[in-house]
Amino acid sequence: MEFFTHSWAMLAGQLAHGWVWFCGLFVVTESWMIAGGWVATGLTIFLFSFLYKDNPFFKVAEHLYLGAGMGWLFQVSVTNVWIPKIWEPVSKGELLVIIPSVLGLSLLTQFVPKISWISRYGFTFMMGYGAGLAIPAGLSTDFISQIGGTIKPFSMLATMSPWAIFNSLVVACGAICVLFYFFFSVEHKGHLKKVSNVGIYFLMIYFGAAFGNTVMARFSLLYGRFDDVYTYSGAKYFYASQIILLGMVVYFLVRWFTGKDKKELDAEETAG
Amino acid sequence: MTKNKLFLFAVLVIFTSGSVCAAAKKAGPAAVLPGFTAEDMPYDAGEAVLLRWPVNPAAAAGTAYEIYVSSLEAGGWVKVTEFDAAAKTGADIGLPFWAWNGTKDEHAVKVELNNLFGNFPPGAVFTCKAAVLEKGALKAESLPATIAPQGNWFRLDRLNNLIALLGLITVFFWAVSHAKRKGLFIRRIAGLDAIDEAIGRATEMGKPIFYVPGIGSMSSISTIASAFILGEVSKKVAQYDSHIKVPHYDPVVMTVCKEVVKQSYLEAGRPDSYRDDINHFVSADQFSYAASVDGMISREKPAACFYMGHFMAESLLLAEVGATSGAIQIAGTDVEHQLPFFFTACDYTLIGEELYAAGAYLSKEPMLLSALKVQDLGKLVVMVSVFFGMILVSLGAKFGWDGLVRVVMDLFKGY
Repeated sequence: MEFFTHSWAMLAGQLAHGWVWFCGLFVVTESWMIAGGWVATGLTIFLFSFLYKDNPFFKVAEHLYLGAGMGWLFQVSVTNVWIPKIWEPVSKGELLVIIPSVLGLSLLTQFVPKISWISRYGFTFMMGYGAGLAIPAGLSTDFISQIGGTIKPFSMLATMSPWAIFNSLVVACGAICVLFYFFFSVEHKGHLKKVSNVGIYFLMIYFGAAFGNTVMARFSLLYGRFDDVYTYSGAKYFYASQIILLGMVVYFLVRWFTGKDKKELDAEETAG
Repeated sequence: MTKNKLFLFAVLVIFTSGSVCAAAKKAGPAAVLPGFTAEDMPYDAGEAVLLRWPVNPAAAAGTAYEIYVSSLEAGGWVKVTEFDAAAKTGADIGLPFWAWNGTKDEHAVKVELNNLFGNFPPGAVFTCKAAVLEKGALKAESLPATIAPQGNWFRLDRLNNLIALLGLITVFFWAVSHAKRKGLFIRRIAGLDAIDEAIGRATEMGKPIFYVPGIGSMSSISTIASAFILGEVSKKVAQYDSHIKVPHYDPVVMTVCKEVVKQSYLEAGRPDSYRDDINHFVSADQFSYAASVDGMISREKPAACFYMGHFMAESLLLAEVGATSGAIQIAGTDVEHQLPFFFTACDYTLIGEELYAAGAYLSKEPMLLSALKVQDLGKLVVMVSVFFGMILVSLGAKFGWDGLVRVVMDLFKGY
């Protein structure tokens, strides 16, 4: 008896020791930071390599991204939806949450053709709920409030400066002309065509501004990536950026000189 | 000696005046503020109370009011607000003229109890009072008024929304019957005419067509419109015996689109050509989805790409790769700030409402045509209302017709 007790104690001790060792692997150390730098700069360069052409490095990054994205979403669903919205309320006796849960689960019956009709209950509920929620809100915000918002400045006409009046008139004129561009019930010709064209000018001015704004935002993302690639090119990270970049250039050159690229291109052209 | 007497006298004067001032400050209880009432706030979810009392025209300059509320559960008074005697009259309550008749002769204060006490159970009782301050000193105080706020089933203040909705529904049914009998006219939309050309090109080249429904959920209007367009596109694909691929971001959208495509193949008389993997799930992560679809487009080199639905930052990532692969591209979205990217990278772009109109335009279904007509009527109402509303409100503001301005502004008030 004492032997068994001793053996179990030994085993438990070994397991505890193993667990501590395993957890230690995930403690952020200098080595992990360097490895992280290599992975970050590597994946960044792999994805950018798509600008040259489709290649195995891009495929690795693409599939890794896809898998990591889905894994992350799965754990978000479990920790942010399943546990707080279903498990915890049911554990506390709030059984009403079972009804929406069953409706949600009914969607999964799509995978079994024989009982896939059950999923219609879930979908019907979602569509009905969505329409009921969206229609009154849409009517209020996209319809009535838009009219009110456009004419509201004119209620302060007595105190408005000429520039503010001009501004409000431009907004009102723009709203009417742009709406007319999206009016499908009449053919746009003659004078109506002119109104519609003014609407297009308003749209294009907006799109130009939106384009510039978004492009600038994208540049800030690009700077962030370049900053990381530059950071990981230092001696502290064992020149990760340069080595990875050099490796890829060598790969592409070897393929070019061995003619494998040309063969692939020919095969694509034949298939096309 | 005289100095000492003077000092003693001065000390006595200071003490006496101090006690006289203190007595003056404690001079009896404050007067009562007359006419103070607490009512349930009308047309709300039962989370607010309305406090009313008459305006005192004789109030001295610098008079202010303080509002206090107490809950039976929490106890103690909580200060809600403090305002000048000329502010917060009945005319300032944000309810339209048909639901509220407050005037400038009374003070009216809406107190949002949930902001003060968090969520409270129905039937919870609250006590309210108002204090009148004159230059910071308490002048009068109301008697405490007790109230249990209640939720209302009908929001009279939203009557204009209800009437607009009923009007649109009525017009919709009229339009359905009209469309069935006589048909309805829709002007030409260039981007949609190009769909046939794109599918024909894909058939001739023997290459697949990519239909990307975006990253919206099924509750997004653009995704619903996209599902309608997919139905028409896949019907033509089935007729031409071409190939279509629909990579998905949202599993629910994928399930709906599966049904749509299956139905289209059936209607085209080609159920044998339908494959379950036409619609396939890729990822529910935005950029993983974009990277993966980009990879597919660059490898399979489709002849045509359709981007219809709700798109965000992935719009240019997708359209750029499609353009590089040489595909004819048609895009449509109602996300205004993504449209410029589609303009630059696609051959045809449907702007906002054109996307909604596409389903009706392609199918000529009376039901969809009627929905489009109702949308057009809505636009006409907006255009006419803005034009005449602008004139009426300007005249009202110019000649001081406050009643007219209020009526017009209340009619077009959203909530």
